[in-house]
Amino acid sequence: MTALPTIAASAIDVAPLRYVDHTLPNGLRAILVPDPRVPSVAINVAYRVGGKDDPPERSGFAHLFEHLMFKGTSGTAPETIDRLTEDVGGYNNAFTSEDITNYYEVVPSNHLERLLWAEADRLASLDVNAENFATEREVVIGEYDQRILAEPYGMLDELVNREAYAVHPYRRGVIGDPAQLNAASLDDVVAFHATYYRPDNAVVVVAGDLDPDAALRTIERWFGTIPTPNTPVPRVHAVEPEQRAERVFVYRAANVPLPAAEEVYHIPAASHPDAAALDVLETLLGSGRSSRLYTSLVYRKQVATSAYASADLREHPGLFGLRVTCARGVALDTARAALAEEIERVVAEPPDAAELERVRTQIASSLVRSRQTNSGISLALVRAVTERGDPEVVNGDLARYLAVSADDVLRVARTYLRPENRTVVEYLPA
Amino acid sequence: MLSTIPAAGPPRDAVVPMPVERVLDNGLRVVAFSQRNLPLVAAQLVVRCGGAAEHEDEAGLAALVAALLTQGTVERGATELAAATDALGARLDAASGYDATIVSASATTPAFPHVFALLDEVVRRPAFAPREVERVRTKSLSDLTLTYANPSALARLVSHRVGYGGAPYGHPVAGTAASLAALGRERVAWFHERFYRPDDAVLVLGGDLTTDEAFALAERVLGDWRAPSTPLDPRPDAPIPPSRARVVIVDKPDAGRTAVNVGRITIPRRSPDYYAALVASAVLSGYSGRLNQEIRVKRGLSYGAGAALPARRMPGLFTATTLVDHTRAAEAVEVTLATVASLSTEPASDDDLVTRKATLVGGFYRAIETIDGIAGSVTEHVLYEVPLGELQRYTQAVGAVDAASVRAFAERSLIPDAFVVLVGDAAKFADAIMQVHADVRVIPFDALDLGSPALGG
Repeated sequence: MTALPTIAASAIDVAPLRYVDHTLPNGLRAILVPDPRVPSVAINVAYRVGGKDDPPERSGFAHLFEHLMFKGTSGTAPETIDRLTEDVGGYNNAFTSEDITNYYEVVPSNHLERLLWAEADRLASLDVNAENFATEREVVIGEYDQRILAEPYGMLDELVNREAYAVHPYRRGVIGDPAQLNAASLDDVVAFHATYYRPDNAVVVVAGDLDPDAALRTIERWFGTIPTPNTPVPRVHAVEPEQRAERVFVYRAANVPLPAAEEVYHIPAASHPDAAALDVLETLLGSGRSSRLYTSLVYRKQVATSAYASADLREHPGLFGLRVTCARGVALDTARAALAEEIERVVAEPPDAAELERVRTQIASSLVRSRQTNSGISLALVRAVTERGDPEVVNGDLARYLAVSADDVLRVARTYLRPENRTVVEYLPA
Repeated sequence: MLSTIPAAGPPRDAVVPMPVERVLDNGLRVVAFSQRNLPLVAAQLVVRCGGAAEHEDEAGLAALVAALLTQGTVERGATELAAATDALGARLDAASGYDATIVSASATTPAFPHVFALLDEVVRRPAFAPREVERVRTKSLSDLTLTYANPSALARLVSHRVGYGGAPYGHPVAGTAASLAALGRERVAWFHERFYRPDDAVLVLGGDLTTDEAFALAERVLGDWRAPSTPLDPRPDAPIPPSRARVVIVDKPDAGRTAVNVGRITIPRRSPDYYAALVASAVLSGYSGRLNQEIRVKRGLSYGAGAALPARRMPGLFTATTLVDHTRAAEAVEVTLATVASLSTEPASDDDLVTRKATLVGGFYRAIETIDGIAGSVTEHVLYEVPLGELQRYTQAVGAVDAASVRAFAERSLIPDAFVVLVGDAAKFADAIMQVHADVRVIPFDALDLGSPALGG
């Protein structure tokens, strides 16, 4: 047998991202990353409003609003953004997370100014009326039916958030509640736009074939005249109390082909110093075929058809999740017992040097891969600004991962993977 | 309103790396390209045997062999292989489709030679340990359970059977519970020995290295792979049954929604009509495409609808698909059929086509933004016997398609005798469909047999 080759994570070269970061007098933040490899640009306009900011009894509002932003403005027809992107070979979409609503377009670089104009236009003069509000609400409820009700395990994420948080609005998820959406009025929508869609609550990130100075002038030209209200943007201040006892919930549903469970632990916010070690812990436990969960549950014991970990780091304290889906004919208790063994192991002893180096190399390599596309680069900056408050963290992450020691991994595992900090949702066939 | 929209500036052209090819002494064709913007290298070894090469009763054999390649070699076991790959921060995967098995490896530049050596090891010296065969087979059976629970995924499998019957693309490449149960190590080893050979394979290798370095690396690692003296197997070419308009319903009362597929067998990838077909499909697809406009935007029937025309060596299966509430499935069938037919009744104008062609060109340029994406595009050309020069001429080939050729293609190859497949709660829509369509067959989910060209029942 030939010796197993390895390479050190430190041998991987990730060039730092160079960008221009400028805040306009009206509070709009613009970040521009020149990269001329391909003649296209990725534009992201992120608003700091997400599922957690939904008004009381209006769960799903931020997400509904994401749809309404495509319905035209006082000077443009519905789907103008689609015409400006798809018709020239680009694309656009948007997503709503717990913390932000992010609109993005990828277009040939000679169309950059047109899209910046269109983004400014829908911020300044969105046209919501009773008719397009009613149609789009139907579409959103259709999305709920398709993604949450029809897809196998579609409801599990919703259940996990609902049961893991007692107080924090993260418990309501993002997609929302069709009944509450049906109860919403046009006035609610107009008020929501006025509250959150304003220059000082937005960040514009553009990466690709651009001249930063020229792009900044364009942004100043189209966004610079949009006024900022005098009132502050409302923020969520709810603090999830420390969980003191394990919570276990059992749900049954028709659309569960094989029994599954998710076990989640409360973890701190994305900006916390433990975040890097939690990412390392995630990869160690649950990313790739050499991860501990795959090796033990899927490969060796064959009790699971999939098993993975996710450090879901958010603007406010998030969740470290362990998801297991049973192999055919295996009882959920058996699969969960195998999962428990791996948790016991990770809190009992630190990883050895070779395993830790492997995990670091995996993380460094995926960082390089994520820099291949303009959309990957611009999304990384959006997340850095909105979840962690500073774009420059994108250039420090590799060093932070390399600095995570075996003792750090053990420490975060012991700090957070405690039974009393755990919420379990078992999901079984009806 | 912010005055009026500014004009677009002058466009810039993208540069597609030009692949260079060479054949090694052992018959292995090597296609190399250089793209040096980031420290990444990728390889795809295309072994020209996939599900189409396997016997009907052994459905899933090619996929089982592919899945087992990375589950242990004569030198190291599955866990050690996975650990070695991850320690390189690399990817090493093998997957089987109808026309080929593709073993792919990619890594950062310093790690790549090591993962390329592992690629060689899994392709030439897989162990096929009985324990692993059993484990992968069990996992495949679990995966089938998940696939069958998903109405859209099941409808796709049923559509292949309805379109191809007993022809090579008819059976599911992932196999069936019955076919997987009959497969063992002996058949796996037989398939590998017979079909994995350098004189019927192509290596695509490129990224952060020169093409000369790529050829040298290929020669050093795969140059001593010997071709067997046995002749190559002929490519599978069983006749495809003629198209026949009909409706097949799989009755699955516990499905969350009903999946609707409109399908028709069309053309192979290398057909001169391929670019007209792509444009026709693009007219129907995407958010602004006609299917989504009719189904989602105008009628709110579904969250989405689209069309696909996969590239294949033999004629491929065109499908228009959506997923709707059971009670609106009959309506969705008529809207989908009418929307496909609109390519003839309301043909797209040359002006309309400008935007749909831009969509295709933009998608192509995005695909080649990554090293893996470039390798994938090169592989598609190689696998389907399309001249590599077409990679450079993609924009022109799409640009040359006119409205008349799109309409003519649709009238010839998409619209006549299209079939319909539904998977959902038939009690809520079957009667309404029977009032409109003469040839309707309802198969209870429990009686469905994807292993049979007639679908059992």
